[in-house]
Amino acid sequence: MTEHVAVVDLGYGDAGKGTVVDALCGRGAVRAVLRFNGGAQAAHNVVTDDGRHHTFSQFGSGTLRGVPTHLTRFMIVDPLALAAEAAALGNPFDLLTVDGDALLATPWHRAANHLRERSDRHGSCGMGVGETVAYALSTPEAPRVADVRSPARLRRRLTMVRDAYGFRDIPLDDVVDAFTAFGRTVRIVDDRYTGRLLADGPCVFEGAQGVLLDEWRGWHPHTTWSTTTFDNVAELCPSFRRLGVVRTYTTRHGAGPFVTEDPGLDLPEAHNGHGEWQGAFRAGHFDAVAHRYAVEVCGGVDELAVTHLDAPLREPALRICTSYRETGRIVPGAHRDLEHQATLTALLHRATPAELHRPDDWAGAIGALLRVPVTLESYGPRAADKRFVPAGVHRPTQIRRAVYCPV
Amino acid sequence: MGSGRWSTDVYTAAEHYRAATGQSAFAYSDSGARTAHPDLDPRGVFMRECRDSDEHPESTPIVVMFDVTGSMRHVPRVLQARLPQLLGLLTRQGKVTDPQIMFGAIGDATCDRVPLQVGQFESDNRMDEDLSKIVLEGGGGGGRRESYELAMYFLARHVITDSMVERQRKGFLFLIGDEMPYEQVDPREVGTVIGDDLRQAIPTREILAELRRKFEVFFILPTAASYGGDRQILRTWRDLLGQNVLELDDLDDVCETIARQVTTDSVPKTPQLSLTTRRL
Repeated sequence: MTEHVAVVDLGYGDAGKGTVVDALCGRGAVRAVLRFNGGAQAAHNVVTDDGRHHTFSQFGSGTLRGVPTHLTRFMIVDPLALAAEAAALGNPFDLLTVDGDALLATPWHRAANHLRERSDRHGSCGMGVGETVAYALSTPEAPRVADVRSPARLRRRLTMVRDAYGFRDIPLDDVVDAFTAFGRTVRIVDDRYTGRLLADGPCVFEGAQGVLLDEWRGWHPHTTWSTTTFDNVAELCPSFRRLGVVRTYTTRHGAGPFVTEDPGLDLPEAHNGHGEWQGAFRAGHFDAVAHRYAVEVCGGVDELAVTHLDAPLREPALRICTSYRETGRIVPGAHRDLEHQATLTALLHRATPAELHRPDDWAGAIGALLRVPVTLESYGPRAADKRFVPAGVHRPTQIRRAVYCPV
Repeated sequence: MGSGRWSTDVYTAAEHYRAATGQSAFAYSDSGARTAHPDLDPRGVFMRECRDSDEHPESTPIVVMFDVTGSMRHVPRVLQARLPQLLGLLTRQGKVTDPQIMFGAIGDATCDRVPLQVGQFESDNRMDEDLSKIVLEGGGGGGRRESYELAMYFLARHVITDSMVERQRKGFLFLIGDEMPYEQVDPREVGTVIGDDLRQAIPTREILAELRRKFEVFFILPTAASYGGDRQILRTWRDLLGQNVLELDDLDDVCETIARQVTTDSVPKTPQLSLTTRRL
């Protein structure tokens, strides 16, 4: 691998980005894994060939292979969750760098998130990521990672957060203490660091959530406060390959439209379950209509990784949905047009699958339907269960490229 | 969408961080340090000494300095993990009498905050502590040059070894890096970084000649670094050091590679030198 690769989930998350990133890191010398969206709510499962399992949340999915992680300025960093994750990994802080401009998620943001979920279910993860972003949009003095270096400023900014939300039962002193300890332990860098990593060698950009949950392109309002497309990567890196990840079936954690949902399917999930804040883990047939939309709003995808190719063998009832009764195509609107997205949500709440069929060659069928060559097939959680298909088995007839994507 | 798998308790988090501090191989660097650790700061140092003692009557000075700029990629971290084995390997193999090892790091004086770091000669695991205090720059200058000549200057003028004073035996210096030195020692940089008042620039070749009266100098180019295998860089070092330029394919072999070059038996005796270097 000589180029930078951006790994993005084309569905509702949980397609297997972690295992794909791990496989890419195992394939060649990767300088670093860069996280470019979301925060501690990510849950990327990696199982090593010797059976070790870790759910990556803020650390990159190449960590078990010794590949450094860089949390870019687009991340929402949660120092409390990071401590627990690091401890589970054996504290590999030597592999971690954090951009000082990244936002900090605090216990007050999390408490506000919980309160909101109780009154109006949205399907968020309960980590306060959306709340942190919302707060930062309204307050220029939102706490950022670099603040943990200056205790006075950190205290001032955390006090502002506490006062804004009014949760008095979380002791400010203890949060300042924990965040300062975080500052002493992790390596905080400035925005030039990303450029250095990219100049040093091939990097992997690891996305969180999925394109169908994108804040601007998802089914509003059942979305995440995060840009899940390649847009953030394009701001960090001038040139990269766009790798989309899909499962052979579609899943969704939490509320929101899910046209092909089928509770009758027997697809046991090893690492995903009912979340306290998210609700149930839902599964259904592969939704080619929604995934085609995801490829479109991404501005095109260079290659595809298809995961869970072992699932159709275990569940003979599994199908692919190629059109809805109401429409064969979800029409993208203008960027940042939430009214249009809400219209799509209403449409999808009504929609039902029209055609369902079962292909013999799942990777081939999915690649052909999305018009993207499949370059990675995955039959299980370990890197050994992956098959790289260098040329791509299914050449696309056309890929629409975004203006910033060099040909 | 994923979920929060990891505990977010504020008290356990603080405890975790406190427990984790110091566990990193480059703890000092990873804690965000951007200046040389006081123990490794060359500024104002009169002499780093490699002395004989009752316990180690025939000390052999061995210096390992590696490039810690970004072009070296993961190399410094691997070296950090491997180098603590060097003393054990040298002692076991017994080709060299009473090895005393000093570690140091080289950055770029034109743009880095920590262009030079030098530890102490140690004959026990205190040298590992020096390693852990090294700041990794991660940056580095453009033009495929780093301040190797500044390190050479320090070692030539600020190191005194009983090996040379008492027995006229050279020590060993291993520079591990992947770029070229600048063409001359810059008096301004010497002033800022080391604190000497140097009146005029010294061509790199001259300071190297001075250094080679005290040390057998080797350059190790790890092929895993950015410019590993770069012909121009290799040529430049070959031109300066001849056959003492070694390419290293497998970083795990760094200690063995160093150990192969180090033997007290084969070191030619050199004529008596004046060692009355003083700070100007």
